[in-house]
Amino acid sequence: MKMAGEIIAAAVGTVAFSLIFGVPRKYYPYCGLIGAAGWFAYAMLYNSGVCTATEATFLATVLVVLLSRFFAVREKCPVTVFLISGIFPLVPGAGIYWTAYYLVTDRVDLALGVGFDAVKAAVAIVLAIVTVFELPYRFFRLAKRREP
Amino acid sequence: MEIEKADESLVLETAMEAGHILLENGAEIFRVEETMDRICRHFGVESNNFFVLSNGIFATGGDGKERTFAKVQHIPVRAARLDRVVAVNQLSREVEEKGLTIEEVRDRLGQIRSMPGKSKRMQILASGIGSGCFCYLFGGSLADSMVAFLAGIILYAYLLRVRPHLSKIVGNIGGGALVTLICILCYNLGLGDQLNHMIIGSIIPLIPGVPFTNGIRDIADGDYISGAVRLLDAILVFLCIAIGVGVMFTVYRRFAGGAML
Repeated sequence: MKMAGEIIAAAVGTVAFSLIFGVPRKYYPYCGLIGAAGWFAYAMLYNSGVCTATEATFLATVLVVLLSRFFAVREKCPVTVFLISGIFPLVPGAGIYWTAYYLVTDRVDLALGVGFDAVKAAVAIVLAIVTVFELPYRFFRLAKRREP
Repeated sequence: MEIEKADESLVLETAMEAGHILLENGAEIFRVEETMDRICRHFGVESNNFFVLSNGIFATGGDGKERTFAKVQHIPVRAARLDRVVAVNQLSREVEEKGLTIEEVRDRLGQIRSMPGKSKRMQILASGIGSGCFCYLFGGSLADSMVAFLAGIILYAYLLRVRPHLSKIVGNIGGGALVTLICILCYNLGLGDQLNHMIIGSIIPLIPGVPFTNGIRDIADGDYISGAVRLLDAILVFLCIAIGVGVMFTVYRRFAGGAML
């Protein structure tokens, strides 16, 4: 039940940010789907204890980039359109907050810990994006719509 | 297909204009270069050379057979408008498929430039909804999300009205401090359950998603200078948000007489 609420929140939140970035309206459903799928993958992997937070971020980002490339080929539009908003739920915004919070409350050891985790999450996102963009274009040709 | 050979400098101007729109609105470097190259080639200009950075385009043309042309354009970073990137991308596709004339391309670019964006009211509302949703996502209760919604709305009004007049650093520190202040006030009025979650949700509209993602893409493509600049931009904003939150907490603790948050 809680998961269902989170998935809806991820989808709606992602669409809200795609609106701010000026994504054309017809692509909103894709953006919402990608954001929700990324969060779902992250939450499942992390909560089940299979992966650490960093590993879960990496795998969820891989899914987000794969879906973004897939839809970009299908809709013949720049992959940026889907990727930027889709990645939002995975960006370590909470990590930045906790780092600042522990720093000003003079708990430097905790601040270092969460700060380092935030950096690891960011590196995981970088690696995932770089890896998936190495895949050759032909893997995504399946996504192409047949020309009428 | 017979293409009437257009005036070379006009072609290069047009390519430059297309590149300008792309770069300004959040496209990757390779897309800018590719689109400019495509337009030039289609209209028969082969001697072009482009060098694209994250905030400027350098273009030259001309060899023994073609006229000489050189242009440098500085392109300040602005808020991303991905609909314009999509439109220019579509146009560059149509140039090849439908064989548009150079005048038609220029007209279309003019139209793209004046494409209306989402109204400010819609953007502010979206920022509130986004903050609320992300607050819930990161573990906040419904009451926390309502506060984050409110803070997201006020934050975006600030981003639209006040931040353009401030430097990047001060603007983002101010944004982080503003949402922290709003959340602390609401919390002390008895709204919301957990201050932390409220603030985490509310700072999300400040997160530099576009330079972060594009910076990574550029570095992956080998455009190191632009990628590094964009990533630096993103890191700077991340740091400023953290500083803004931290400053406001410190101020609050001073006034609240050292009370723990």
